[in-house]
Amino acid sequence: MGLLQKFTRKSSPKQSGSGSNYAYVTARVRAMKSNLLPRETYPRLMNMGIDEITRFIEESQYKQDVDELARTYDGVDLFEHALNRNLAVTFTKLINISEGELNYLISEYLRKYDIWSIKTILRGKYCGASVEEINDSIVSAGQLSYPFLSSLSEKESYESIIDALSGTDYYPTLKEYDGTNLSDIENQLDKMYYTGLSTTVDNPKSNDSKLFSKFIRTEIDIKNLSTLFRLKNAGVEKDEIADLILEGGLHLSIKEIEKLLPLPFSEFVQSLEKYPYWEDISGIVRTEMDSLVELETQLTKSNIKSASSFSHVYPLSIVPIMDYVLSKTNEVHNLRIILRGKAADLDEEIIRNQLVI
Amino acid sequence: MAVEAVTYMDPAGLKAIGAGLAVGLTGLASGIAERDIGSAAIGAMAENESLFGKGLILTVIPETIVIFGLVVALLIS
Repeated sequence: MGLLQKFTRKSSPKQSGSGSNYAYVTARVRAMKSNLLPRETYPRLMNMGIDEITRFIEESQYKQDVDELARTYDGVDLFEHALNRNLAVTFTKLINISEGELNYLISEYLRKYDIWSIKTILRGKYCGASVEEINDSIVSAGQLSYPFLSSLSEKESYESIIDALSGTDYYPTLKEYDGTNLSDIENQLDKMYYTGLSTTVDNPKSNDSKLFSKFIRTEIDIKNLSTLFRLKNAGVEKDEIADLILEGGLHLSIKEIEKLLPLPFSEFVQSLEKYPYWEDISGIVRTEMDSLVELETQLTKSNIKSASSFSHVYPLSIVPIMDYVLSKTNEVHNLRIILRGKAADLDEEIIRNQLVI
Repeated sequence: MAVEAVTYMDPAGLKAIGAGLAVGLTGLASGIAERDIGSAAIGAMAENESLFGKGLILTVIPETIVIFGLVVALLIS
């Protein structure tokens, strides 16, 4: 069976929807989604002490990950690693159970984690972190396996890491790295990821590619909006912002963003009124903002909400799967925020503001 | 005077063909319908075993189509 799957995957990665097993994957993903923590749990977790939270996580779906890692780590680190491991296992499972076009689209989307891991390794080497420290931060939820990624982190220099990646799509970007321009390379990798995704679904033929493309382009819009808000609020020059803007947004095309760039913050906020995202953020944005945490939480929330409502409109498509990927990532983020916040004795109000529920 | 050969079709044979078609085509139809439901049920069960009962019931619901076909076949013959 596995051999057959490998064969069909290799022979026709871009085949039309007929090769995909939507019924199986969406039903399985929905069952997986029902295992996620319900939203009522978060206020309860907020009222618990760190010991109670750890016990709660030990008894939840993360039990196996916690058990397996308990020999090596303890305390909050243990849970952070357990959460990372669970995320990697879950997303790799999605890649393994899907076939045909569905598999192709999911793998393309999960490349995000490959890029994340490559960035982690390079950054770790840049600041001289130990191999263990780098390995701990890797999330192998994409196509690159954990053994491969950890073999990269064991390499001495960044040159040999980049050489080892010479067969991949990331090589042309990575070979520009000269040991100093790390943040540039990181930005380019992210840009490459989104450009890659946009070209994957450039001329969507099947209904599913169309939905996927809409999903990706909304995500690009939201990324661009938060970049714009952050940099505008910090008073960064428009040329510098233009470098960081991603192409291919759904409602905010690059031309429209160029129009927004020279505006001062207050006018920029007002001109957002004509976009559909305004409805979600109108209650939060002011002409002068000290903190953008609330705004960014709201943007993420609206993204998750729209994915979840779309998943009911198109039950047998990629949308329920993307919805699950978003919700799962969000759950892991929330748990990490609560744990780290509690461990650092942060004020409950600050932790609550960071949560996306 | 030319003699025309007349071929007869036995009505019993036609009935048998009709009955066969009724069962055969409905069988195919329920098979197609059950394919997706079955794989979805297996998917859901893989994550949550307690869904076995529901999955089984939902999977055999299209079986009614072939039962109708069988009833029609019995009525014909």
